[in-house]
Amino acid sequence: MKYLALVLKSARRSKRRTALTIVSVALAVFLFATLRAVLDGFTAGAAASSSTRIITIRSTSLIFSMPTSHADAIRSVPGVRDLTWANWFGGIYKDQAHSFANFAIEPESYLRMYPEILLSADERSAFLADRTGCIIGESLARTNGWKVGDRVTLKVGIPTYGTRDYDFTIRGIYRSSSSAVDTQSMMFHWKYADERSLVKGQAGWFITRIASPDQEAQVAGAIDAKFANSPYETKTDTEKAFASSFISMFGNLNLLLGSIALAVVVATLFVAGNTMAMSVRERTTEIAVMRTLGFPGGTIFSLIAIEALLMSIVGGVVGVVLARIAINPRVLPSGGFIPEVSVDTQNIVVGLGLSAVIGAVSGLIPATLAARLKIVDALRRVA
Amino acid sequence: MGLISNYNLRSMLVRKATAAMTAGGIAMVVAVFVMTLAIAQGFRATLVASGSPQNAIVLRKGATSETVSAVLRGDVPILESLPQIARDGDGRPLASPELVVIIALPRSTDNQPANVPVRGVGPRAFALRTNLKFVEGRPLTPGTREINVGRLATGRFKGLSLGSDVKFGSNTWKVVGIFTADDASFESEVWGDVDLMQPAFQRNGYQSMTVKLADPSMFDSFKAAVEGDPRLMLEPQREQDYYADQSRPVTTLISVFGTFVTLILSIGAMAGAMNTMYAAVAYRTREIGTLRALGFGRLRIVSAFLVESVALAAIGGAAGCILALPVHGLSTGTTNFSSFSEVAFKFRITPALLAGGLVFAMVMGAVGGLLPALRAARIPVARALREI
Repeated sequence: MKYLALVLKSARRSKRRTALTIVSVALAVFLFATLRAVLDGFTAGAAASSSTRIITIRSTSLIFSMPTSHADAIRSVPGVRDLTWANWFGGIYKDQAHSFANFAIEPESYLRMYPEILLSADERSAFLADRTGCIIGESLARTNGWKVGDRVTLKVGIPTYGTRDYDFTIRGIYRSSSSAVDTQSMMFHWKYADERSLVKGQAGWFITRIASPDQEAQVAGAIDAKFANSPYETKTDTEKAFASSFISMFGNLNLLLGSIALAVVVATLFVAGNTMAMSVRERTTEIAVMRTLGFPGGTIFSLIAIEALLMSIVGGVVGVVLARIAINPRVLPSGGFIPEVSVDTQNIVVGLGLSAVIGAVSGLIPATLAARLKIVDALRRVA
Repeated sequence: MGLISNYNLRSMLVRKATAAMTAGGIAMVVAVFVMTLAIAQGFRATLVASGSPQNAIVLRKGATSETVSAVLRGDVPILESLPQIARDGDGRPLASPELVVIIALPRSTDNQPANVPVRGVGPRAFALRTNLKFVEGRPLTPGTREINVGRLATGRFKGLSLGSDVKFGSNTWKVVGIFTADDASFESEVWGDVDLMQPAFQRNGYQSMTVKLADPSMFDSFKAAVEGDPRLMLEPQREQDYYADQSRPVTTLISVFGTFVTLILSIGAMAGAMNTMYAAVAYRTREIGTLRALGFGRLRIVSAFLVESVALAAIGGAAGCILALPVHGLSTGTTNFSSFSEVAFKFRITPALLAGGLVFAMVMGAVGGLLPALRAARIPVARALREI
């Protein structure tokens, strides 16, 4: 620690070089934190899934519906505590560019089964009372500047819902207490869509609450068995599996973002390592003099290594601060079906850790070379 | 020119390690740039190959994609009677009423359920799509539960190989042929007879009609005829325009993301290049002083150092392009959200993309090397000569 002044002096030797290195490490950490935040944004929903909710869909695929009469059969399966259903509406607000998730829910039971949806008691009863009412997630409300009482019109997207436009009144703006429910969606009464549908009494997916997670496989199997060999065969799975299947639709995000992150780290290692090497080469004579004076090789090693580490960590701090400020839903355009992205504490810690690693690795070779410098050779060299 | 080739370019080789590391940093940036844009290009190419200039696709008025469109049974004979449609040897109209549904099949990479597009087609669908070739088996026989599968689909989803029995829509269907279509989106699809698929999926009616025009110039009169007919609530589009629109959201997303990442990375690489060039100038101050004393003008010095920086970056760029090349032709897939179906496509590196990467590298070199080059020219000669 007594050598800290020496290390700082060395770093200030070439302010420009130090600044440029800090900039490149900062950018690398910024990118890394951003990529991790993006990945988290996509996987957060699945990770936060409830372990006591299971989803039932048509086995053929999600785009096919099931008759709502399935509900009675499902309720009779032992282990089922509660049931609700929802339909993907796919309505168009203004045009494709403004699209967002909107679905029809069986209102009372859905709100009961998803305690993550937070609504004031007034808004809740207003919504339940108005058949053409709807509730909007707070992020979506913010994007479109909506307040309670505004009217929203959706054009029909999926032909089965008829041809007339659907008018809604916003009865509530909900917040979410967990990533399992996002706040970029709109939900409204299933009955309103059903009365205008070309085929009545259809549900898109059923959500069932089970008593405990270990009953999942058994209850899911029993539900599917009820409809096996019928024209409306089902496939029941955990909420987590359901959410994960949506994420996998984007492609192998892990691989893509991970590869980019790797490239970022390698590029920065080149740059930072280069800087340290140049800095050491410049000081060959000084290092030789210090060795002559009796500084052990180990101390020389530490001096160089700490200088590298210091520059990198400063860069890391700048990078995470930048990431924290720039990457959050208020600044970034999100909306539609891209999840909200923000940099949380874990990403920050990993970012700082990364900068330390970059500092350590980039300083390693120059520090070792400096420590092993032959005094005689070094003093002979002219600059 | 002599100064540049004799002095600067050879000076690069003097400090090999430093030059290599700087070039390495730039190489990584260019590699990321090329690879991410190769994804966007590949996706776009697949969707564009799906559209033929002579074909038109007819959808419901206002429908943004096939999956949300509806074409009634009664509309088909009206459309088929239009004169702008080409006819085959037997005088039958080259038109195919179609229906696309999605079935869930496990993906071969992660076993997750994937949205596989199943397209019911009319008997003349194969004549309409000229780039379709069968690599295994034969076309399906209309009126039977035979199906054909695109080659990219057989690779990406499980259970679709030749001879397999696939169960969906409460029936079992047999794969009798595998086809390729220049990597068009059709290669990610399963095709079957549309009139058998309708009852199998409890549907009544089609979603779209694809027609081959007698001549591409007839599109406008075809469009006027369809839109002017009060019995039809339909709207034709050129097939190429339709697929270009379909690919736009995903292509834009990938391109924006790739550009964002690369831009930020490039600032770091430019900082590295700047560092290197400043060090090079500092190291060679005496030589620069000598050159100035000999009579080389400031502009010569600036341009010489700039060229050195650009050349170094160009080498890095070339290395980055070579690093990125292996991904060309790699199969991957994503979900086209307009149609909610999974599209398999290949990474596609074009010469234009490689050229772009090289130019990008040289720009990084120029920007990074500018300030150091200016500094090199501004050192007072006498002081420079005194440096050791």
